Amino acid sequence: MAMAELDIHGVFVPTFMALMLVAYVASRGLRLVLERSGFYRLVWHRALFDLALYVVLLGAFFYLFEQINA
Amino acid sequence: MNNPMKTVFAKTGRVLMTLAVVAVAFQIGHGLWDYYTVAPWTRDAHVRADVVAIAADVSGPVSEVLVRDNASVKQGDVLFRIDARRFQLAERQADAAMAGASAALNEAKRELSRYRRLGKAISRQAVDQARTELEKANAAYLKAQADRDLARLNLERAQVVAPVNGTVTNLNLQPGDYVSASQPVLALLDTDTLRVEGYFEETKLGKIHVGDPVDIHLMGQGTLLHGRVESVTAAIEDRERSTGSGLLANINPTFTWVRLAQRVPVRIALEDVPEDVRLVAGLTATVSVRPDHAEKG
Repeated sequence: MAMAELDIHGVFVPTFMALMLVAYVASRGLRLVLERSGFYRLVWHRALFDLALYVVLLGAFFYLFEQINA
Repeated sequence: MNNPMKTVFAKTGRVLMTLAVVAVAFQIGHGLWDYYTVAPWTRDAHVRADVVAIAADVSGPVSEVLVRDNASVKQGDVLFRIDARRFQLAERQADAAMAGASAALNEAKRELSRYRRLGKAISRQAVDQARTELEKANAAYLKAQADRDLARLNLERAQVVAPVNGTVTNLNLQPGDYVSASQPVLALLDTDTLRVEGYFEETKLGKIHVGDPVDIHLMGQGTLLHGRVESVTAAIEDRERSTGSGLLANINPTFTWVRLAQRVPVRIALEDVPEDVRLVAGLTATVSVRPDHAEKG
């Protein structure tokens, strides 16, 4: 259940917030990789693409988390 | 000729690719938003139980406290005793009064039968009088009997018993304390009524049905508990409205743009709570209602 809090040494953080953080770090990494591989030449509006990428990653992590905890 | 066309295609391709990713992201974002705001879950649920405020039915000094703080008691267990001597004396008094009334009743009976045996030698008036005396004596006897029963009841009530199965909480009663009738002195948590109450936004109510399975996480505890929606409350206070001093309706000024969802308590019955989980009334829980058809066993 992705809705319960994560207990980080007594600080209760909503799981979703933690996932957002994870997704952000992952998207930074992925952006670096895409940059190196020259993928951005295929992209029209880079900032928009980055935002979309972040949301997709967040969704993916959320789904994964749900599957693990189901 | 060929070259500019190629550029246009490439450009269009890039735009389309980006928009496609954005469209997918929009769908996913929408789904996440739905999950977070529409799905019937709440972080604000609490373990609750009914608390019986135990009060003595008679006044007097406490002579004996038979339970300890946080002790489990069964229905009918004696919780504490009030010094009974006064009530024993009252019972003896009542017994004596009843004996007196009984003697008076017998006397009146004898009187009446004696008058009757005398037949015509005595006036009707005297016989009627004797009969009235008998009825009065009978009434007095019945009253004395009721007084005796009352004295017995008081004596019985000098011993306070647990009305429900439960746990004594916050016990603050010592032998020697004076308790007054009807004044609560002891809180008894009715353990048979332990339940979880979730405060759900009104926007989520449509997805909550009686009988739906519920996942319950107590704050800071790993064990997943299960429950079932038992009932949804029938009414909450209308916060927009009060009654003014002139008995006129007093409605809050309107707030046009932002609306806050009110919350409605939903009662969740716990199912098969593991032995090692300590349910303390008041604990915070996160609950999530699962749609019934998703249950596979």
